[in-house]
Amino acid sequence: MLYPLIAGILFGLYFSLVGIGLNLVFGVMRIVNLAHGDFLMLGAFVAFGVVSLAALDPLFAVPLAFVVFLVVGLVLYRLLVPRLQRAKDPEMLSIILFFGLSQVIEAVMTIGFGTSERSLPSRELGRSLAALRVRLFGGTVDSGPVEILGQSFPAPWLAAAITSLIAIALVYLYLYRSRLGTLTRAVMSRRDEALATGIDVHRVSAAAFGIGLGLAAISGVFAPFMFGSFTPAFGVDATVTSFVVVVLGSLGNPLGTALGGVIYGVSYMFVQTYLSSWADLLPYVLLIAILLLRPSGLLGRRVRVA
Amino acid sequence: MPPDASALLTASGIDAGYGTMQVLWGVDLDVRPGETVLLLGANGAGKTTFLKSLVGLIEVRQGAITLAGRDVTRLTSSARMRLGMTYMSELAVFPDLSIEENIRVGAQALGHANPDARADELYGLFPVLREKRRAPASSLSGGQRKMLGIAKALAAEPKLLVMDEPSAGLSPLFVKEVIRILSDLQGRGLALLIAEQNIGFLDIATRVFVLEGGRIRFSGTVAEMTDNDALRRAYFGLK
Repeated sequence: MLYPLIAGILFGLYFSLVGIGLNLVFGVMRIVNLAHGDFLMLGAFVAFGVVSLAALDPLFAVPLAFVVFLVVGLVLYRLLVPRLQRAKDPEMLSIILFFGLSQVIEAVMTIGFGTSERSLPSRELGRSLAALRVRLFGGTVDSGPVEILGQSFPAPWLAAAITSLIAIALVYLYLYRSRLGTLTRAVMSRRDEALATGIDVHRVSAAAFGIGLGLAAISGVFAPFMFGSFTPAFGVDATVTSFVVVVLGSLGNPLGTALGGVIYGVSYMFVQTYLSSWADLLPYVLLIAILLLRPSGLLGRRVRVA
Repeated sequence: MPPDASALLTASGIDAGYGTMQVLWGVDLDVRPGETVLLLGANGAGKTTFLKSLVGLIEVRQGAITLAGRDVTRLTSSARMRLGMTYMSELAVFPDLSIEENIRVGAQALGHANPDARADELYGLFPVLREKRRAPASSLSGGQRKMLGIAKALAAEPKLLVMDEPSAGLSPLFVKEVIRILSDLQGRGLALLIAEQNIGFLDIATRVFVLEGGRIRFSGTVAEMTDNDALRRAYFGLK
C-alpha cells in the first residue's frame, strides 16, 4: 500500500506539471490547445539533444526548454490566436486548429527522427548536481534509487516531483504576486470585464500561452525518465493525460491542476500495482466519472464553458 | 455634426452593430470637461452598444470619435482608456479577485504609477470597501459591487468616466447612494457619461441625450427635456 501511495504522489506531482500549462492557457484564453502533448514531446527531444549532442546533464534542458518554448509560444500566439478570437466560435475553431498543429508537429518530427523509441539512462539526470555535492561535501556519486519511508524509488521520479513543485510554486507566485499575474487572474475571472477595464488582454494572453508551452516542454524533459522512452507519437497520449489531470482539478483553475495531478498519479499507481491490465483505461474512466459526477472539477465553482 | 473644439469627447455620426445587425445609426454626442451627460433610453435602444463603441469594445462602422481633441476611432480600448476615459460596465467587477486587487487592477491596467496609494485614496471615498478589502468581490452585495466598480473605474484617475446603467439591479436606497457618490465626483471636476433608464439621474445631469431605436431622438438640457411633451410622457409618465 505504501509504495503505490508514495509513487503515486511523486508521479502525481509530475502529472500536475504536465497539465498546469494546458490549464493556464485554457483559463486565460478559453481555447483548447490540443497540441499541448506535442510540446511536451518536443521537450523530451530537447533533453535528448542536450544529452546526446552536448553530453550535458538533462537538467540543463529544463531552463533551455522553458525559454525556447516561451519564445515559440509568444510567436505562435501572435500568428494564430488573434485570428482565432475574431472567429464566430473561437473555442471550436481552436480545437480544429490545434489538432492540425499537433498532427503537423508529429509528422515533422517523425520525418526528422523516425518512429523508433528513444530513451535516456536515468543516471544522466542530476549527475551535475551529484558532482557538485561531491565537490562541496565529499563522498561518492550515487545514481541509484532513493529511499522514502523505507521504499525505493528511481531518483528521476523524485527529481521530476521536486521540479514540478518548484514550477507550481513559481506559477503561484506569478499569478498571485506579480503585476502581470494579477492582470492574468483578472482575465481568467472575466475576459469581457478585463477588456472593459482596459487590460491589454493580448499581452496577458501571449504571456500565458508562452508560459503554458514552456511548462509543457519542461514536463517533456522528464518524460523519458518517467515513462522509459518516447517517440514523436507520444504527444497524443500526453494530451489525453493532461486533459484528465486538468478536468479533475478544475478546467480554468491552474492551481487546481496540482490536486488533479496527485489524484491521477495515486490512482494510476494503484491501478498499475493491483490491476495493471486496466491501467490504460484509467484516464478515460476518470474523465467520464468526473464529467458525470462533478463537471466543474473538484475545485471548480463554475460550469465549464468548453 | 462638426466636433466641438471645447469638448472632451465627441462622437460624430456613429454607426455600429453586431454581425449583420446594425444597432446604431449616425449617433452624435459630446461631453465637455467636468459635465455630466445622461444618455437615456429604454432596453434595446442601443445605449450599451454606443458606450462600447465609444470605449473601443465594438468596432465603429462609420463615424469618428475624438478624445481631448485626438481621433481615437481606430485605437484599441486599452489605448483609449490610457488617454483618460475609463468604463464601468454592468458587470463592473472581477468576482474572483479581492476588492483590493480589483482596484489595483483598475490602476495597473492603465499604467498608473502607484496603484497602492491610489487604492488608499479611493478607500477614503468608499470606506465600506476598506473594511472588506481582502474579501473576494463575489462576497459583496449588489450595491457594494457597484461601488467597487466605480472605484475600479476611478483607479486610473480618468478625466471622463463612462458608466453603463449604474442603477441596474439596485434597491432605490442604493440608487440614491450611487447618485450621491456621482454628485461628489462631479464636484471634483470629473466628467461623467451615464447610460441609464432611471430618471433619478436627471438630478445630477447637465445635459441629456435620448436614444431610441439606435438614433438620438433628443439632446438638450434637463429643462429642455422636461418641456418636451412627448419625452415627458415617455419618461415621467405625465400627461
